[in-house]
Amino acid sequence: MCYVKLGAKSLDTSGRGIPFKFYTAYYLSFYSRRRAKTLRDLLEGIKAADKNTLFHHLFHTIRSKHLIPPKYTNDFAHWVGEEVGDEELAAALSDISGAEPATIEDIRREIVEILEPHADDRAGRSEFVFVAMEPVVVETNYVANTLGEFLDMLEVVPGESIVYHFVTRRVLDGTGRNDFSTWLEKNFGLAEVAESLSRIDPLMYNSEEALRGAILKTLRRWLL
Amino acid sequence: MIEKYAQFVGEDEIDAIVKLAERLQDLSILHVNSTAAGGGVAEILNRMVPLMRELGLRVDWKVIRGDAEFFTATKTFHNALQGTVRDVPSHLYSVYEKWQEINANELDLDYDVVFIHDPQPAGLIKYRKRGKWIWRCHIDLSTPHPEVWAFLKRYVSMYDLAIFHIPEFARDDLEIPQLLIPPSIDPLSPKNKELPPTTVERIVAKFDVDTERPILLQVSRFDWAKDPLGVVEAYRLAKRHVPDLQLVYLGSPAHDDPEGEAVYKKTVEAAGGDRDIHLLMLPPDSHVEVNAFQRAATVVMQKSIREGFGLTVSEALWKSKPVVGGRAGGIKIQVIHGVTGFLATSPRVAAHYVTFLLREKEIREKMGAAGREHVRRNFLITHHLRRYLMAIAYATGRHRR
Repeated sequence: MCYVKLGAKSLDTSGRGIPFKFYTAYYLSFYSRRRAKTLRDLLEGIKAADKNTLFHHLFHTIRSKHLIPPKYTNDFAHWVGEEVGDEELAAALSDISGAEPATIEDIRREIVEILEPHADDRAGRSEFVFVAMEPVVVETNYVANTLGEFLDMLEVVPGESIVYHFVTRRVLDGTGRNDFSTWLEKNFGLAEVAESLSRIDPLMYNSEEALRGAILKTLRRWLL
Repeated sequence: MIEKYAQFVGEDEIDAIVKLAERLQDLSILHVNSTAAGGGVAEILNRMVPLMRELGLRVDWKVIRGDAEFFTATKTFHNALQGTVRDVPSHLYSVYEKWQEINANELDLDYDVVFIHDPQPAGLIKYRKRGKWIWRCHIDLSTPHPEVWAFLKRYVSMYDLAIFHIPEFARDDLEIPQLLIPPSIDPLSPKNKELPPTTVERIVAKFDVDTERPILLQVSRFDWAKDPLGVVEAYRLAKRHVPDLQLVYLGSPAHDDPEGEAVYKKTVEAAGGDRDIHLLMLPPDSHVEVNAFQRAATVVMQKSIREGFGLTVSEALWKSKPVVGGRAGGIKIQVIHGVTGFLATSPRVAAHYVTFLLREKEIREKMGAAGREHVRRNFLITHHLRRYLMAIAYATGRHRR
């Protein structure tokens, strides 16, 4: 692909003058009062779960606080692989896409399609417990006015802030697009840069730092 | 003091805690539990309460009182709720209720937010006059004694919010919101701070344990739930392959645990005359000693059959020791099988992994490093503090901005 770079000398622009204010989010986890003993139960649970519950089980692994081995991208795959012992199905569930424009409903549909033909009475060694989450948003001291400041701050803002703007806002708040792409396009008209960021699949990263690295790499390629 | 934790979790985490606390400045907050020392709850509150005060919050901590009969009742309830006791004499319910009333009359419970820790003071909710009440449960409620749970549930259902360590402990038959917050360790406390190697050697040698030889360590109360006999058996199986292995089982009594002495005696019997088995019963304030033993250990075990959380696992992981743990309660989220240690259900399997770790130094060190990082990300007191602030914000409707 051929990139038209802006170059470091062009990064002091503040575009239309809309600053980017970084927020960060921490998550309260709630018991959802739903458990699964078998693959059939798991399927029914996934069909019935609210978006906050699905979001937790699908996306918490991007945050470095995750409690499952790194070979799985989400809790459903982990349970199927480790507790039920179906490696093939676990791999398929682990391989789902979380990139834009996938909404939580798109991902639910994809999981249901994968799981439905296999959803029988095979049980896990222990139950799958559905957990919902609720973000608590906290403002940070970081506000970027120019593209240069934005790049600098992306390196140093809390990892939780990267996940909040890139994933939580899009998937859970239903904005449809990550905040960084939205700002780059709206404030600077950088549609191609924004589109390039949008192609990053957050489910391919199992820590905030890895996701930050991928975002920075893309932006550097276009902007420096 | 809060700034000192930035070296572990970063300044941004501290900033977030300060900002969350700012939302709660006008609230009065009370913690109530049943013991000022001994056991994980008192240990956390001893560190948590000063930190909350430092953030400008108005926080008090009160301990309920009771006689021997009351603590026998609460210990019986505790074991019954964790599924290890079947027979619960009916008069214990009235003993429990009597002491709830006495404590409610003696303690000032007039606060905006009240955290009640564990079943012992849970009945105080009956005497609530105002405020948001949060029941913080530190035990495994997944398969409770039905009658005891039915009794306790009448009280728990009156709370605004319940907090459990892990989702498996939460209850389908509770209508109130159930939050999930794991407990934590304090990296600056005497039990977890860095110790010079000489200090470690000096303390361990004082108890006739040889630091030149491998040490298998379990730190926990002498309690059936911690499977002390299984620990001795696993040690014996591992010693067949590692003849110079030593076992240190380090326990400390708590005044609300009348059963400890009987379990200790049975464990002494099981140990027989083996001079490499060290069963140590230290006072509850022996934090530096625990720290030294955890640092001196080659492999740490937490072979619990039932477990609330098992903070000794995080303590050991923080000191870069891999842990062989029982597949029980909170151990499962601390010991990530094959990453920070191994999960084992029987003495035989535990011995297998202990022997493997004793043999493979490189893997032991790699798992130790992964364990420390896992604790740094999830189970330090600053995370716990932030989650409590979030819980208070939620209970008082201040979590959304």
